Amino acid sequence: MSSAAGVFDETRAELTAAVRDARAAWSWSSTLWLLAFAAVLVAPAVLPLSGQMPDLAQFVYLALAAVGLGYAVGLAGIPSLGQGAFLGIGAFSEALLRTKAGWPLVPSFVAAVAITAGVGVLTGLATGRLRSAFVAVSTWILSWILLLLLASFPGISGGAQGLVLPAATVLGHTLTPTDHYVIGVTLVAVAVLALAVLAPRAAGLGLAAARDQRLAAAGLGVPVARARLGVFTASAAIAGVAGALTVELTQVADASSYGPAVSFKLFVAVILGGARLPLGPIVGLLVISAFSNAAEQIGGLRGLPPGRLEEMLTGYGVLLVLGLGGAGLLPAARGWWRTRMPSRHVPRPSPPMRELPRVESPEPLRAQGLTKSFGSLVVLDHVDLELAPGQVHALIGPNGSGKTTALKALVGELAPDEGAVRVNGTELSGSPRARVLQGVVGTQQATAVFPELTALQNALVGAGLRLEHDGPFRTVFRTPKARADERLAEGKALAALELVGLDDPDRPASELTAHEQRLLMIASALATEPRVLLLDEPAAGGSATELDRLAELLHELRDTGLALLVIEHNLRFVRRVADEVTVLEAGRRIASGTLAQVASDEAVKMAYLGRQKLS
Amino acid sequence: MSLVVQVIVTGLAAGGVYGIFAVGYSLIYRLTGVVYFAFGDLVAFGVFTTLLVAAGTGPVSQTSLGVGRFLVALGVGLVLCVGVGAATYVLFIEPYLLRGSTVGWVASTLAIAFALRGMIGAVFTRPAYVFPDPLHFESVGRNGVVTIAGASVQVRSFFVIGLAATLAALAAWTLERTRRGRALQAISSDPEAARFVGLPVETLVALAFGLVGGLAALAAVAAAPSAPFTVDSGALLGLKGLVAALIVRFGSPWAAFAAGLGVGLAEAAIDNLRIGGFGLGPQYGELIPLAFALGVIAYRSLRAEPVASTA
Repeated sequence: MSSAAGVFDETRAELTAAVRDARAAWSWSSTLWLLAFAAVLVAPAVLPLSGQMPDLAQFVYLALAAVGLGYAVGLAGIPSLGQGAFLGIGAFSEALLRTKAGWPLVPSFVAAVAITAGVGVLTGLATGRLRSAFVAVSTWILSWILLLLLASFPGISGGAQGLVLPAATVLGHTLTPTDHYVIGVTLVAVAVLALAVLAPRAAGLGLAAARDQRLAAAGLGVPVARARLGVFTASAAIAGVAGALTVELTQVADASSYGPAVSFKLFVAVILGGARLPLGPIVGLLVISAFSNAAEQIGGLRGLPPGRLEEMLTGYGVLLVLGLGGAGLLPAARGWWRTRMPSRHVPRPSPPMRELPRVESPEPLRAQGLTKSFGSLVVLDHVDLELAPGQVHALIGPNGSGKTTALKALVGELAPDEGAVRVNGTELSGSPRARVLQGVVGTQQATAVFPELTALQNALVGAGLRLEHDGPFRTVFRTPKARADERLAEGKALAALELVGLDDPDRPASELTAHEQRLLMIASALATEPRVLLLDEPAAGGSATELDRLAELLHELRDTGLALLVIEHNLRFVRRVADEVTVLEAGRRIASGTLAQVASDEAVKMAYLGRQKLS
Repeated sequence: MSLVVQVIVTGLAAGGVYGIFAVGYSLIYRLTGVVYFAFGDLVAFGVFTTLLVAAGTGPVSQTSLGVGRFLVALGVGLVLCVGVGAATYVLFIEPYLLRGSTVGWVASTLAIAFALRGMIGAVFTRPAYVFPDPLHFESVGRNGVVTIAGASVQVRSFFVIGLAATLAALAAWTLERTRRGRALQAISSDPEAARFVGLPVETLVALAFGLVGGLAALAAVAAAPSAPFTVDSGALLGLKGLVAALIVRFGSPWAAFAAGLGVGLAEAAIDNLRIGGFGLGPQYGELIPLAFALGVIAYRSLRAEPVASTA
């Protein structure tokens, strides 16, 4: 009894908190969007549109497929040319199950979407591992396969008449075109809203990070391959939903309405309208439909076959947009609007955490016998390395001595041929993500920030690592745990930025100086709450004052109990920060100890330091 | 036996054209990392321009066409093909390469493809066109057909195979033996270094875009009279060439050409051969190579190491 009351109280508290959050986040634009949605929804009841209802509903379903494609193209930068195929797979799965297997609407709909998603998974395997060019090719081939399959097997496609479906009935109610319109508009609104919610949060930021810097994102623990496959599959499944519902609307599955031309049209709609904004694909589709209408008018006058002029005009339209800069119509319009309307500054709620905690259970990292060769070239030759908590360890050596390779082997970016890396006895193995979770994180040698994200969002990519309730579904449904996680992540990210001394979290990362970008990389790595932090040339390109500040930062980090490894060429900087030094030459460790010890070593003097005075 | 000979000859004739396309796709990919989706339609543009100058848009009678007029037409077609190929690269592809935007060049190459195809379709409105043949193969054998080992094969097929092999050899020779060709190889292995030693990288790459178009258009014009040519034929030829190039991972000219021949042979075999009373039939001929290519990509992605950039 008391536990039931407890659950009740808890639920009420959660709901109250949710309502309070929603009210705090509500703005004028939210009201406007809600009104716009309502207006589109009731339009058919008010306006004399009953004659156009089937066409309108069909357009709305096509828009749903376009928004779905926006998930892959906009969020993840995957150039998918298969949306027309996925639409067709959904449509023909539904039609075949309904006509040949005689299934009722709902089970065949579920099965059709599942089949489409399954094909999406198979085609999408390339998204995680291969260059994007191969994704474009495989999806493009898929579109052609569907076209040729339907053209050469009338048994599947129903030949010239297509497959004719029985009336669409759910619970005794026959769906009218207006019903389809309402369903379609609602689905589009949900898909757009979900995309708008996901994009600026952990799941979306991880994808955006992997879009531009796949290795750096993986290095911060983003599950790149899984996330990209997931978003691609979601995009295919949305097309499956649209395709299955379209055949229920038109009650005929027609082979000629799917395939490469539709894939092209949808891809172009996304690019034309602006891939990065959830509504972009819809705007693009509206523009293309205007092209089509114009083309039909002209073509009709000149007696041309339908479709040809449409393709031509669409092609020219895209080339024009791409030639003018390529961001798409909606982002261009928004940019223009922003220049005219000064943006309101939204005060940021003060995060619960302003400084990074001490490292919990600090551990030494031990690497033993690391060996790596590329062909006959031995880059690492049985290198041992020990990083103690609360110490800065510098790895120095001439160019090509294997420093960066050693770091890559430690973070898991590169598998060594021999040797093991242990943190407190547990052997580290596998992907960078597994190691980041163990508390071992590194930064890239080249500046590899995520240019299209702000500084805060860059740090959030790292801070997303240890969240447990940040999956896409929890995020979209704004569950209390997901919202609590978001506040926690933001607190961590802001604390990391403050620690490295980046004070404007909302600046785009691409606008930062090279040194600030290096600091931002450190902040993103710190936001993963590491025990061992590996930095590849953090001082490169910094001015004297910036290096003073960086040395201070490294000391602060050391004092929290972090084990730090710094690869550095600047020996003056090494002298300031390093407690211990290891010298590599031609892949071998030739000396290790304090800088003074190392400096007096004859081998080191011979190999590398002969010309430079150390202390 | 007779069927096997027929399959080999028709397969090689079709495969020769795919092979030239594959050579083009591979070269472009290795130079720039671009998969040139507009390739097939650029070639269709060259072929239809040739047709327009040679015979207009009306029905073609085989006898009325003089060799002189045809050569002029072919010249115009090839020059336009090379020019348009190079111009589209400079205007619409290179800007996205410089920005590292894969989505950008995918969109622009496709848009070029559809713009060209729409333009051709607006001028040539009939469903299919019979291509004029200035080389009068119909006077050889029985109306252009000879019998070898019991199989009836078109004489033209041998001409197409020979021409395609010559073009492939020419491409390979150009790449390996000439100054420009070696420059292109240098660009494909390291564009920055090539730029540094003073090679006009942009001009050479633009030229390559045009020239592979011209090369493939020549092969396509030679093959075109064998069967009706439609507005979409170019795209389909391009697709099969792409499949061949993909199978050999955009490899050397000879590998790509061989893969093209392989795709052509597989297609002809699947279309016609029956082994032990079991045969798949013509509806599978185009599908199976495509499905195979999809399988190759899926297999490769399961085995691949993660790559550094998504570009």
